[in-house]
Amino acid sequence: MDRFFQYLFDGLSVGAIYSLLALSIVVVFRGSGHLNFAQGEMAMFCAFVTWQLQDWGIPLWIATVLSMGFGFLMGAGSEYFLVRPVAKKSPYSVFVVTIALFLFLNSLASAIWGALPQEVMPSLFPDAPDDFLKLFGATWRYESIGVLVVALALMGLLFLLFSKTRFGLAMRGVASNPESSRLVGIRTSAILAASWGLAAALGALAGTLVAGRTGDVQPSLMFTFFVYAAAAATLGGLDSLVGAVISGLAIGVVENMAAGYAPGWIGQEMRLSVALLAIFVVLLSRPSGLFGSAKVERV
Amino acid sequence: MSLLEVEGLSAGYGPVQILRDIDLRVDEGEVVVVLGANGAGKTTTMRAVSGTIARRGTVRFDGQDISRSSPDGIVRLGIAQVPQGRGTFADLSVEDNLRIGAYTRRHDTDADIDRWYATFPRLAERRGQKAGSLSGGEQQMLAIARALMSRPRLLLCDEPSLGLAPLITKELFEIIERLNREEGLSVLLVEQNANLAVRVAHRVYLLETGSIVASGTAEEISADDGIRKAYLGF
Repeated sequence: MDRFFQYLFDGLSVGAIYSLLALSIVVVFRGSGHLNFAQGEMAMFCAFVTWQLQDWGIPLWIATVLSMGFGFLMGAGSEYFLVRPVAKKSPYSVFVVTIALFLFLNSLASAIWGALPQEVMPSLFPDAPDDFLKLFGATWRYESIGVLVVALALMGLLFLLFSKTRFGLAMRGVASNPESSRLVGIRTSAILAASWGLAAALGALAGTLVAGRTGDVQPSLMFTFFVYAAAAATLGGLDSLVGAVISGLAIGVVENMAAGYAPGWIGQEMRLSVALLAIFVVLLSRPSGLFGSAKVERV
Repeated sequence: MSLLEVEGLSAGYGPVQILRDIDLRVDEGEVVVVLGANGAGKTTTMRAVSGTIARRGTVRFDGQDISRSSPDGIVRLGIAQVPQGRGTFADLSVEDNLRIGAYTRRHDTDADIDRWYATFPRLAERRGQKAGSLSGGEQQMLAIARALMSRPRLLLCDEPSLGLAPLITKELFEIIERLNREEGLSVLLVEQNANLAVRVAHRVYLLETGSIVASGTAEEISADDGIRKAYLGF
């Protein structure tokens, strides 16, 4: 049972980061119908920004918040200047634009910061070797608890934003029916840019959490996280916020259990495949994901 | 001065011109009906007034030129549109549909929601349901209530009878008539279903392939033999 709780907890903690990034993907997809392949790279770039700000002497928490603000502007700017002009002409070209943005941000980060030395990124939480507590026989590192708590708290705020505020109502409206949204007086273009911004701000937090966990910031920081997050978003149904959160957590737990209980033949190398295989099986039986809304409309 | 004055309005989609140089007006407190067959340009007329498509010509609302205004600016001035096919927010609850209708206002939203629940009791019963699960008639009521949530002075209705059972259509027109009589709401309504629409109208325009070919009071239009045969079918 000790091992069970260990894998469960480790899985939830890393899964919370998948969920955050999956939420970014879902927020963009719901708003504009596009998949932003650069979502992970935006998060990576923001992690560098956080590192840079704290390196200049700004306290890490403040640097993280500033980085999220930077992420918002980067996301909104990308939508407004890069995605929107081509989206009008062809939706497929958006795919190419986000791939280009992926490569661009990756090279730009390399060009500006190059390869930072290892172990330079401080964590938002105490992460000395003895910063943990023992519970149910498992080791609960403060770092992992912190990641889980911060990620879940932010998701809670996001849900309040969507369900309780005028801005959230407008975002849901634009996702549901853009044409009618304009007819009730919503400036849909502003809402779209804001949802890309919001998504990138969530990603900035995810990137900073990932970098703090590993201690390193590098251009490849978010590669695997993006794959897991995209998988979580798909599994959750792509348009469901709840689905993205639950799927992200579930993928984290499944991959940790699989790698932990079958170290011989799954181990560290194959864990990604196990998670993706599980998703494949689920999507075969539920094509619109676990929580996705099957589009049924009475006329 | 009329509430809505349209002069020399042309509009279309890309290179395809649908409306050619039409003139029409809606006076304060009037119900004006534009009759036309499929493809005559009824929906295009609505969209050109609400600013959701590119248009040429003059559109004045309450004396103010709105021919260059954005759709959200036009809603804020007091024009609300019930689009063809109802345009409900299918994934949102009935109550959120009403709430989003009041997007341009910030006050008294709850009081207005209660008021339209009183007018449309069936919406009150289904307030927590997703709008997409309502019947066609209920969705049309919801679309009208949602439009009224912005407290418009002019309501644009695009073929409200489309796809509805005759009894429901009748009920709907009664509600529109009542809103006009009791609240003084001005209405511009486009329809194919001429019989019912002409009964609630003060004045009627006939639209054929993008041009206004006749206009007059509801009585004049119903009295004209040629028009009656072509549009009213009796």
